[in-house]
Amino acid sequence: MAPSRLTAQVAGVNGKTALRFLLRAFGAAILVLVIWRVTTVGLAEGYPASFWISQALNGLVLGGVYALVALGYTLVYGILFMINFAHGEVMMIGGIAGFFALQFSQARGWLEGPWPVVVVALLLIMLFGMAASVLIGVTLERLAYRPLRQAPRLVPLISAIGASLFLQYSVLLIFGVSPHSYRKPALISGGMRMGDVFIPYTGAIIFVTSILLMLALYFIIQRTKLGRAMRAVAEDRATASLMGVDVNAVIVITFMLGSALAGAAGVMLGFHNTVVKFNSGFVPGLKAFTAAVLGGIGNIPGAMFGALILGLIEAIGPSALGIPTEYKDVIAFTLLVLILIFRPSGLFGEVLSEKKA
Amino acid sequence: MLKQLRIAALFAATLLLLAACVAAPPAAEAPAEDASMEEAPADMSGKVVIASGGMIRIGGSFALTGPIPDPGLNIRHGAEIAIDDLNAAGGLEGFMFELVAEDGACDGTQGTNVGNKFAADETIVAVTGGTCSGETFGLVPILQEARIPFVSPSATNPDITSPDCDVCNRVALSDALQGATDADFVLSDLGLTKVAVVHDNSDYGKGLAEIFQNNVTNMGGEVSSFEGVQVGDTDFRAMLARVGADAPQAVFFGGYSTEAGLIAQQMTETPGLEETAFMSVDGAYTQQYLEAAGDAAEGTYISFVAGADSEDMNAEFDAKYVEKYGVSPDDLGPFHSQSYDSVKLIAAAIMAVATVDDSGNLVIDREELISAIRALDAFEGLTGTIKCDSIGECGAGGVQIFQVADGAFDQVSGFGME
Repeated sequence: MAPSRLTAQVAGVNGKTALRFLLRAFGAAILVLVIWRVTTVGLAEGYPASFWISQALNGLVLGGVYALVALGYTLVYGILFMINFAHGEVMMIGGIAGFFALQFSQARGWLEGPWPVVVVALLLIMLFGMAASVLIGVTLERLAYRPLRQAPRLVPLISAIGASLFLQYSVLLIFGVSPHSYRKPALISGGMRMGDVFIPYTGAIIFVTSILLMLALYFIIQRTKLGRAMRAVAEDRATASLMGVDVNAVIVITFMLGSALAGAAGVMLGFHNTVVKFNSGFVPGLKAFTAAVLGGIGNIPGAMFGALILGLIEAIGPSALGIPTEYKDVIAFTLLVLILIFRPSGLFGEVLSEKKA
Repeated sequence: MLKQLRIAALFAATLLLLAACVAAPPAAEAPAEDASMEEAPADMSGKVVIASGGMIRIGGSFALTGPIPDPGLNIRHGAEIAIDDLNAAGGLEGFMFELVAEDGACDGTQGTNVGNKFAADETIVAVTGGTCSGETFGLVPILQEARIPFVSPSATNPDITSPDCDVCNRVALSDALQGATDADFVLSDLGLTKVAVVHDNSDYGKGLAEIFQNNVTNMGGEVSSFEGVQVGDTDFRAMLARVGADAPQAVFFGGYSTEAGLIAQQMTETPGLEETAFMSVDGAYTQQYLEAAGDAAEGTYISFVAGADSEDMNAEFDAKYVEKYGVSPDDLGPFHSQSYDSVKLIAAAIMAVATVDDSGNLVIDREELISAIRALDAFEGLTGTIKCDSIGECGAGGVQIFQVADGAFDQVSGFGME
C-alpha cells in the first residue's frame, strides 16, 4: 500500500512540474507574440510622440479612477476575504448623488460665482457624493454581509452580486433610465494645451485628487492607531479581538473608507465623462476589480499601481498592438485571466495580510 | 445498524440514479412527436378567435430601457394614442383594441425574449415595434415562425425587411437611403472628402456606418478610419486620439444619442479634432443628444428619416399628446408619428380581414392578415401616404439633415427643403 502511494505522489509532483513548465512556456510564447506584434505592427503605424503622450495621459486618468475603486475591493478583501461585487454600484451611487448636489448648487448660482466659491461648491458636491456612498457601503455591510460573516465564503459573494443588482435596478426605478448629464462649471471645462497634447482640467483633477486620496489612505493605514487596528484585524481577526480591537467597528470603518474613495471617484468620473446612469458603475467596477487582482488583491500599493498599469494598457494597448480601440475591454479582461493563471497573487503579492482564512 | 441503514440508502440512491438513466432516452425522443402533432390542425391554430367582449390585442416592443429610453417611451405614447383613437371611433364591430407593451430594451436578446412572450400568447394578433434594429432582429425569426406580422415604426437597418420575410414591415425609411444621403451631404454640400467613421457596434449603428462608408468610398472620398465603440461607453478619448492622428475633415457616428453627444463633446478636447465637423444620424436626433453634447452640439449635423408630414393631422395629434402626457411629443423623441401610423396600419389590415362568426366571435386568420398588410390600399397617415411594397417597406418621406444652432435642430438640407 505504502510504496504505491509514494509512487503516485512522485508522479503527481512530476505532473505538477511538467504543468508548470508548460504554463511558463505558454506565458513566454504570449509575451513574445505581444512584443513581436508591437514592434512590427504598432510602431510601424508611425504615430507621433504626442499621440503616445496623449494616450498615456488618458490612461493615467483612467487608472486614477480605477485605483480609487480598486482600493475599496482590496481593503475589504484584506479584512474579510470577500470580494464586494457591489462596490462598482457604490461608486455609481456617489455619481448620482453628486449629480443632484450639482443641480442644487447650480440652482443657487454657486458655480457662476468667483473661483473660491466654485472650488468650495465643487468640494461640497464631492463630499456629498462621498457621504452617499459611505451610507450605502455601510448599509450593505450591515444588511448584506455581516449576517453572513460566519457562512462559507461563497455565500457573501453571492449576496454581493445580489446587492449589486438590487442597487442598479433601484436606481433605475427611482431616478429613471435616462442618463443624468453633469454640466461642468466654466472653471473646470476645457483644459491645458501643450503642443499637440491636450490635458482636460477634469482629467488633471482626477489624477491629482486620486493620488492625494491614496496618500491619505496610506497614511491612515500605516501611521494611525486605527490603521494598526485594521492591519491587526486583517492579520488575525480572533487574536485582534482578544487584544481589545473592536472588530466590528474596524470592519465598518474599512467599508466607510473604501466607499468614500469610490464616491469621490464616482463624482469625478461624472464631471469627466459628464453622464451617469444606473449601470455606469458596473464596467468600471469590474475593471477596478481586475486592477486589484493585477496588483495583488489585499495589497494597497498593489491596487494603486495595478490600476495605473491597467489604465495605461487599456489606453495604449490597442494602438500599440495595431487593433481597433473597441478591443480595450478584451485586452483588460484577457489580462485578468492571464494574471490569474500565471501570478494568482498579483504583480506585487498579497501583502495586507499574510494569513489566509 | 446505522451503517447498514446508510448502505441501504446509498443502494437505493444508486438504483434511483440508474432508473433515471434508463428512463432518460425515451424522454429525449418526445419533442419529435410533438413537432409532427403541431402541423396537423393548421386551420385551427392559424386563426385568432376573440370571444364577444374580448379585446383585439396588439403587442408592442418598445425600447423603454437601454440606450434610448426617452425615444422608446415616445414611441409607446404614439402607439397608445393610436389605440385611443381607434377605440374612440368605435373599435371593430364592437371589439376594442388593446396595446400589450413590453420592454425590448433596444437589444437583440431582449427582443428575442419579447418575441417569445408574444409567440406564446395566442391572443396577440400583430406587433408594433421593435424600436431599435438589433431588438427587431431578435423579434424577426420568432414572429416569422409564429406567423405574427409586425410593423416597426423606427428600425431602420436595411436588412429588417427582405423578400424572405413576409411578416416583416416598417414605416420608417431604410438606412440605405439615409447612409447615401448623408454621404452625399458631407462630400458634395460640405465639400469634405476625408472622413472618419465611428459606430457603436449595434446592428443599427454599425449597419448605417457601413452604408455610409461604402457610399463615401464609391463617391471618391477617403475613409481615414473605421472605429467601433460600445453602447454605454462614456470615455471615447483613446479612440478619438487615434481618429485624430489621421486628421480627418469630418467624423461620422452611427449610433444613439448619449454616445453621439459625448463623442461630439470629447472631440473638442482631442488634438486634431477640435474644429472637425461632426455628423450623426436619426438615433441621435433627440433632446438627449443636445443635453449630452452641451455646447459642443453647436454646428454639428444630424440626419433624420422624416415622414411627409401633413400639418393639420400632426397638430391634432400633438394636441392629444400634450393633453395626455403633459409634454410636447418632440421633447422625448422623433418617431411618435411613425409609431401612430404603424398601429393604424395594423388596425386597418385587421379590419380588412376580420370576420364575425355565427356565435359572435371575432375571427382573424393569421395568414390573411399577413398578406392584408401589404395588400392594403394607400392611406394618409401622420407621416404621409402609407402603402407597403412587396417586401414590407411602407413609409413615405425622405432624409432630412439638421444643423444644431442655438441649442435646437435647424434643417439645412434634404427632404422638404427643395
